[in-house]
Amino acid sequence: MEKSMKKFAPIFLWPTMIAFAIGFLIPFVYGIFLSFCKFTTVTDWEWVGLKNYGRIFYVNGVLDTTFLHSLWYTALFTVTSVLVINIVAFAIAMLLTKGIKGTNLFRTAFFLPNLIGGIVLSYIWLMIFNAILQNYSKTIVSTQWTAFWGLIIVVCWQQIGYMMIIYVAGIQNVPGELIEAAKIDGASSFQLLKSVIIPLLMPTITICTFLSLTNGFKLFDQNLALTGGNPGKMSQLLALNIYDTMYGTQGWQGVGQAKAVIFFIMVAIIAIIQNKLTTSKEVES
Amino acid sequence: MKKKLVSVMLTTAMTAALLAGCGSQAAAPAAAPADAAEATAEEAPAADEAVAEEAAPAATGEGSVYLLNFKPETDDAWQELAATYTSQTGTEVTVLTAADGTYSTTLQSELAKSDAPTIFTIGNTTAAQTWDDYTYDLAGTALYDHLTDKALSINYNGKVAGIANCYECYGIIYNKTILEGYCGMDNAVISSVDEINSLEKLNAVATDINSRVDEINAALGTDLTEAFASAGLDDSSSWRFSGHLAGLALYYDFKDAGCDLTAGQSTISGKYLKDFKNVWDMYVGTSAADPALLTSGSFSAEAELGMGEAVFYQNGDWEFSAFSNPDNGYLVTTDDLAMMPIYFGVDDANEGLAVGTENYWAVNSQASQENIDATLAFLEWVITSDEGRMAISDTMGLTAPFDTFTGEFASKNAFAAAANEYASQGKTAVAWSFNATPNVDDWRADVVAAMVEYTCNGGDWSGVESAFVDGWANQWTLANE
Repeated sequence: MEKSMKKFAPIFLWPTMIAFAIGFLIPFVYGIFLSFCKFTTVTDWEWVGLKNYGRIFYVNGVLDTTFLHSLWYTALFTVTSVLVINIVAFAIAMLLTKGIKGTNLFRTAFFLPNLIGGIVLSYIWLMIFNAILQNYSKTIVSTQWTAFWGLIIVVCWQQIGYMMIIYVAGIQNVPGELIEAAKIDGASSFQLLKSVIIPLLMPTITICTFLSLTNGFKLFDQNLALTGGNPGKMSQLLALNIYDTMYGTQGWQGVGQAKAVIFFIMVAIIAIIQNKLTTSKEVES
Repeated sequence: MKKKLVSVMLTTAMTAALLAGCGSQAAAPAAAPADAAEATAEEAPAADEAVAEEAAPAATGEGSVYLLNFKPETDDAWQELAATYTSQTGTEVTVLTAADGTYSTTLQSELAKSDAPTIFTIGNTTAAQTWDDYTYDLAGTALYDHLTDKALSINYNGKVAGIANCYECYGIIYNKTILEGYCGMDNAVISSVDEINSLEKLNAVATDINSRVDEINAALGTDLTEAFASAGLDDSSSWRFSGHLAGLALYYDFKDAGCDLTAGQSTISGKYLKDFKNVWDMYVGTSAADPALLTSGSFSAEAELGMGEAVFYQNGDWEFSAFSNPDNGYLVTTDDLAMMPIYFGVDDANEGLAVGTENYWAVNSQASQENIDATLAFLEWVITSDEGRMAISDTMGLTAPFDTFTGEFASKNAFAAAANEYASQGKTAVAWSFNATPNVDDWRADVVAAMVEYTCNGGDWSGVESAFVDGWANQWTLANE
């Protein structure tokens, strides 16, 4: 067995490994390297050490708050969207596993928004929002908060259906006899939810929170199409801020790259912590 | 042994198929065996796409041309021109057009490739500085010799880094027919269009028209809703103000300072921002658009003028093709349209249209000598051959700054003709001083944000002044360190 695994490794393993290296590992390492360089094209660089990292916060000798602003704005956005997406998706999943009429139709309808690309979705929502907001003499980019809630609505609308499907799968895996036993023991429906269903759903919750958390942090398309960072740069989430630095500011490609590295480290740390936290609560049925 | 051979072959095929997605030419043909093996069926379309997109010139040894086109609206004309040139001379010409607003992104990634563009567009001296390592010295080329006004080139670091491929003008486009009709009305502020020769007059006319829209519609049978077309502050329109209108404030500023009008200097005084405010207030105040909604992006100022709903619209001569194209379904005809200077309240008596360009051809100095030679030959052909001249002045509707564009190849753009007429009246053309803007996207974004605050949210004008003046000094330091 082991021998044949070794024998066939080149066929099944190498192509993927090579593609992974070309498409991910090499650009990743090269990207980290470039964050220490001043460059115009990726093949034309000059080593500048930590200068790029300093420039993220200090520009012309004064504190630059653009990055910090988009940092807390993104953090707030992510927390809000994770909460809303997971709570609503879970609630809908509970409803749609009760065997009500038309369950399949509802599941499909809720899942559909996820099939539309972020850019298209955001342009359509942009029209809807502006049509409604104009009655109040506002637009989606009037303030950073209209932009914020606009983004939350679009992202929730898009992702709730997806998370719902995962929750539905999780809920259907909860053994019926456990629920029945709990009911016989006189558990109320709240106790049933709290002490039986949610503990058994922890693996699903881990996945869903992980997905919505990382999606929230690296959100780009919807941000670009819906608000474009307006007003000013007040509604720029981190990914858009990095893109904007890379292409908007003369000679700042390296700074954009440095921001991207910091961004990666942050998302990685948060995702690992979240994973540890929720995994530790997982139980066997 | 035989098994091993099969496994190696399969691996190669699969790897090739995976690589094909990257768009590498070498890998693309190799994707074929992978299809046969049905290893990765879904990779096949990706490979096809990559090949179609690249369509890179074959290395024939004669040199080839790769133009990275800046203006999306001229893509068809360039593709056709490239095909004509290839059929006449055999030289491969590839034209790739960057999507609107993505030129710098595309340029940055394309130049890093081995088949890099041999011709690309730079917009100003700052861009010449960015791409200094990539610009070929165009002094002494046929292109430079044919250039009528040598000021329409970018000199940077001791070389001619870019040569203008067109020059443009902007001002206030107005509907002559409606405006003349208005002049004929009884209690009109003016009795002839020529009387509009200052900001004060223009403001009086615009205010009057805007307040008497219904009366004018009844008298002239028009569908007016406003005097000035909406001054949208969304990304698709805000550059008209943070770029072009601000250009006038910068122009007078630089003129006072005595520095190069299009290269600028490290600080600006902001002395003419009050004039900027006056014009801006006029745009917003004499338009039907709700100021609070200007950021929505739902306005189309072009359509407002085109459908005869507005009389005035600040924009440039590139709008001529939009208004003259029957596909757009606009009600105005080119006979209805004319352009006047953006009277700024500073030197209105001597001010002409703003004439300049943001489109300079640069030739990639890092291309092989063969490709550079082929490129220069192609560009010369474009500005001297009948096909090339016809495509530029007729199909693309551009005004080219070369001495070969005479007679039937002279520009048919009525707005460009207006610029010449103002010049012949002894008015001074306003230089495109906004070309000097450091970190142009960042600077403009901040100015627009402040203008939004002022216009839509009832903020203070001092915010605009600060974004304008302090922002300039700040970005200048950054861009030049």
